[in-house]
Amino acid sequence: MSDISMEKSDRTDGDSKRGDDRQGARFAASLAYFERAAKVIPGGIYGSKSPGFLVPGRFPYYLSRAAGSHIFDVDGNEFIDYLCGYGSQIVGYGNPAVDGPALEQARMGDLLNQPHPVMVELAERLVKLVDGMDWAVFVKNGTDATTLATSIARADTGKQIIIAADGAYHGAANWCSTNVFPVFTQTEQRDVRFFPYNDVAALEALFAENAGKVACLILTPYHHPTYRPQQLPTPEFLQAAERLCRAEGAWFIIDDIRANFRLDARGSHAYFGTHPDLVTMGKALANGYPISVLLGNENLRKTASSFFITGTYWMSAVPMIASMATLDEMERLGGTARLAQLGGMLREGLESLGREAGFGARVSGPPAIPYLTFDEDSDLYLNQRFCAAMADRGVFMHPHHNWFISLAHTEDDIARTLEAAREAFRELHPEARGVK
Amino acid sequence: MKMNFAQLNSEEQRVLAQLKATLALRLAEEAWRADPELRGSCPAGGLVMKIGVSGTGPSIRLELPPSAELSDASVRRPSLLLYFPGPGAAMRVLSGAKGAAIPLPLGPGALRVLAFFRRASTRATELLRDPGTPDVARANLLLAATLFGLEVIAGESYLARRMQIVPDGSVCVRAEDISYFVIKKENRIEIRNGAAPTSADAELVFSNYRSAVEVLSGARQAVVALGSGDVRIEGLLPLVQGLFAVLDRLSWYLGVEV
Repeated sequence: MSDISMEKSDRTDGDSKRGDDRQGARFAASLAYFERAAKVIPGGIYGSKSPGFLVPGRFPYYLSRAAGSHIFDVDGNEFIDYLCGYGSQIVGYGNPAVDGPALEQARMGDLLNQPHPVMVELAERLVKLVDGMDWAVFVKNGTDATTLATSIARADTGKQIIIAADGAYHGAANWCSTNVFPVFTQTEQRDVRFFPYNDVAALEALFAENAGKVACLILTPYHHPTYRPQQLPTPEFLQAAERLCRAEGAWFIIDDIRANFRLDARGSHAYFGTHPDLVTMGKALANGYPISVLLGNENLRKTASSFFITGTYWMSAVPMIASMATLDEMERLGGTARLAQLGGMLREGLESLGREAGFGARVSGPPAIPYLTFDEDSDLYLNQRFCAAMADRGVFMHPHHNWFISLAHTEDDIARTLEAAREAFRELHPEARGVK
Repeated sequence: MKMNFAQLNSEEQRVLAQLKATLALRLAEEAWRADPELRGSCPAGGLVMKIGVSGTGPSIRLELPPSAELSDASVRRPSLLLYFPGPGAAMRVLSGAKGAAIPLPLGPGALRVLAFFRRASTRATELLRDPGTPDVARANLLLAATLFGLEVIAGESYLARRMQIVPDGSVCVRAEDISYFVIKKENRIEIRNGAAPTSADAELVFSNYRSAVEVLSGARQAVVALGSGDVRIEGLLPLVQGLFAVLDRLSWYLGVEV
């Protein structure tokens, strides 16, 4: 808290427009690490954590610790965090209810020759909890789970085509990544077809064009592309998705890696009332411990059983222990109802403050996974300026990626965030409203 | 992986020849701008010339002074076509090696135009290499070469899928008072020099000439300049990031050896 107070006093000295030098000093250690990193690590920081994905100079590049809903960078700056380790933190950083048993197991052994019994317990628990699922396979990253899901679908059907929504993120493997080099577009990416999310006619056309060749349809439970407002599915769209899969003999996959347990403990597909054959979950599954899961229904058990599935670290015990504890802790802290309550407060507050300041600020997505955009600026200049202004005030909100609420956030966090937002909206120059 | 010209497929050979021709002409133009002495040696009344490479599409034109800077908007006829019988010849000659180049006079003063083009090309290389060259001149040379290079390679099949997923739009690229407008539409990139962009979808701004020179010459990693705030990107990021990928491909082309 102390650092946030310091930020506020800095801000109220009449210098709301921070110069580059002050920013440089604020993140001097981050920048020094980054310059060292660029010499030995491609891109310095690669992928979605790259400084270029945020607003360079206005956000920290390296974090050293976190507690609850707050993160601390290597320069000692503190932020209320709305990225939550890209969604993995659901009961808060350093939550002793999770870390206690996890660390205890770490002392007794994590990666053993054979699985720990907790693997059975966790599989039983998830199969019981997640709507319509009969078996579970544990992996590490979301990419592992989505790649395994589409591979099993292809193996089972003997068909090749994967259908996905335009702009949806399903991981960083060659079949689904944005590494669109010809060597991949001509091989692994060749059989992936895209359609605009929620567009039933386009989806029908795609199934018709590829009749007899479609192995699976993979969808996120709702659309959360980067750089764009989030979109909830229409009931007609999900019904069409199921119907088209059944008619084609293709498997329906819900990739719930990003949203799982923030909408419904039974899986986000239960929240939206749809019935997939395969479901992937990750991130919040173990509050940041490395584990993801592919869940499937009875129809695919035989194929999954005959599939060679392995990874050196996939059966490590600590993340499974952490996952069991996370499920308990989520329930104890109020679960999805509490997340929706906090997210609703944030959404209502931001939209209202935005309107007061004369902006078309709109929060899209479910309350627990909000994302702010400005109706008047599809190019995201205002997002970048707003989020930078929030970072100046000790609030970490990503300008291009959806945010996350955790059960460690408090009403006080939300109130402080909205107080910062009031000033951040005010700081956006009036002429910036018509950026384009 | 380092390649040499013979290892490229026929499309890549064509694109590289076009790229070399474009860069030669653009750099000559920027050298003309930067160096008063060179400008003084330009044929009286200016010049118009073209470079044509057999089998690579339309020839590329150089006008000095540029027609946009003249009050008389009438179309000027070229007095010289520097013709290359194939991409290999263009690659060799425009990389400074021996090869077949055929100067075809199209009007009076063709030999003077050819002599000036040779002088300007040599001067452009000197300006780029000489540490004493003012940053503004080097930034102008490097930005012109880089951006017009993007324009040439954008349509090649290697970049086809990349160009598909990059949103259409415009990027304002600035370094102090140097300003370019990069327009991406479908699989094409168009560069407008010095246009005053009032409605760019994104901005890529070098904090000064020196940072542009350091990044565009490869002396400093773009990512470090970005991290330190010496390069700023704002607005529609997927558009700028998409152009970075095209830039990577440009850099690959420029690394091809004779």
